[in-house]
Amino acid sequence: MSRRTKKICFYTALTLLALIWLLPVVTVFITALKSQADFYSGESLFSVPEVWKWNNFADAWVKGRLGMYMRNGLIICFMKVPLGILVESLAAFAITRLKVKMKNGIFIFFLLGMMLPHQMALIPLNRFFSQFGLINNYGGLFLVYIGFGIGYGILVMRGFMRTIPRELDEAAYIDGCAEGRLYWNIILPITKPAIATVFIIDFLNTWNEFLLQSILVTDDALRTVPNGLISFMGEYGTNYGLLNAGVLISIVPVLLVYLVFQNYFVEGMAGAVKQ
Amino acid sequence: MKKKKWKPYLFILPAFVIFSAVVVIPTVYSLYLSFFSWKGVGAKEFVGLKNYINLFTVDPVFLTALRNNLIWIVLNVVFTVSVSLLLAVALSKSFKGRVVYRAIFYIPYMLSLVVVGVIWKWMYNPNMGFINEIFDVAGLGGLKQNWLSTPKIALYCVFIAALWQGVGQPMVLFLAGLQTIPVSLTEAARIDGAGSVKAFFYITLPMLKETFVIVLATLIIAAMKVYDIIKVMTGGGPINATETLASYMYSQTFSYSNFGKGSAIASVMLLMMVFIIVPYVMYTARDE
Repeated sequence: MSRRTKKICFYTALTLLALIWLLPVVTVFITALKSQADFYSGESLFSVPEVWKWNNFADAWVKGRLGMYMRNGLIICFMKVPLGILVESLAAFAITRLKVKMKNGIFIFFLLGMMLPHQMALIPLNRFFSQFGLINNYGGLFLVYIGFGIGYGILVMRGFMRTIPRELDEAAYIDGCAEGRLYWNIILPITKPAIATVFIIDFLNTWNEFLLQSILVTDDALRTVPNGLISFMGEYGTNYGLLNAGVLISIVPVLLVYLVFQNYFVEGMAGAVKQ
Repeated sequence: MKKKKWKPYLFILPAFVIFSAVVVIPTVYSLYLSFFSWKGVGAKEFVGLKNYINLFTVDPVFLTALRNNLIWIVLNVVFTVSVSLLLAVALSKSFKGRVVYRAIFYIPYMLSLVVVGVIWKWMYNPNMGFINEIFDVAGLGGLKQNWLSTPKIALYCVFIAALWQGVGQPMVLFLAGLQTIPVSLTEAARIDGAGSVKAFFYITLPMLKETFVIVLATLIIAAMKVYDIIKVMTGGGPINATETLASYMYSQTFSYSNFGKGSAIASVMLLMMVFIIVPYVMYTARDE
């Protein structure tokens, strides 16, 4: 095969696969513009809708309460993620730069939590939360989210902090810095790239979290997007136009995150892997 | 300069306290609960290993769930790995539009599995879903199926949705791994007469060993935990055909209030995962 034919084959195969990957999104799009009547008309999914139902988007946002779910999601993310990073970076700082016994043991301890099935904690958390009236309480939810995110945060930040030269600490100590200031004024600012990675990944994980929330939050007014969309299905089960409009809206913030931070997803991930 | 020896531990304290309260203590307590029969209220009755024995001897749904998790592991290891590796190799070359292709395959991974489930449940809809409609358009109406309601194929249909979502992450990991392989190495092999296929199997694959460890461990762990997408697309049905350990644990606990049994199912998940988790954690934490 000549170079040229090879190139054409390569592009054709890749483009074909990419088109297949886009099909579900295209389907969501064409469904989102259909009105309820279109689903009972016996017409094909691919037929042009009788009326373009742009209203589906507004309805999903207001009547479907998607706007509220997204606002809740933002509130939870912007409270939980920075708090988690603070807790994780403090621990990562201690096990990489301070005199602590069994550093590796401590690291392994936290890392195990990253992989344990959440199912192991569900029953005790649910019982405990209902006993102490913490169901439908964001404070309780934050603690649980932070607890389950600690392993990943420490993994990434420890990996980065290990590479910061020791001479920096020694110079700081000679200048009379205490550990607290070394952490806050020197190490933390250098760790910014790792913090950015944790921020983005943790943000997405929190935004998408479903299982823990489904047993700790029962009040619809406090739900975030995944659980919200599910209640949406119950209420508007047959209205696929509305449901797909909701799906489409819920994808937009994720797309924005990708567009703004796309470089982190390859390089940041590589950093997490090769520490 | 005298330093207080306990001071460094203060930095770890918040993480330690939260982690213990939320993850460690509940996990241990679940193990404890798995030896009891308990309806969530009232007295707990100690039953020893009975919950476990019942699961493995008289509970066909549990065995289906266990089998489904094992099938999911195999599917993940075979398909998710090969598709993502193939994509990574293709997208590691520099060509026009690479960024766009990378985004198309990666972005589904950022979506919540609930959203993915909703999208694909609609794709499989027997009346107006994309898949049946496209068969109609192609004149292959005979191939139309009630995809998610047919016990034999439902699990595989859900896996296809998971595959669509799941190739992005390993693809990016493989891309990162490929970047660390010096070009000179593959070039040298080519000069020595190795074809591109040979160079791939003898140079590229062995050099990706570390990435493979990470990808395989993450995929197997994820396969053991499968929940969200099952819950949304089939709810474990039809007639329990797509039940997984996680979905079965959830329904037994929160729909039927069998807290002892639920804990036992979760503990089985944990015990099976330990064989992957412990070596993997040791590997990750090793000191270079």
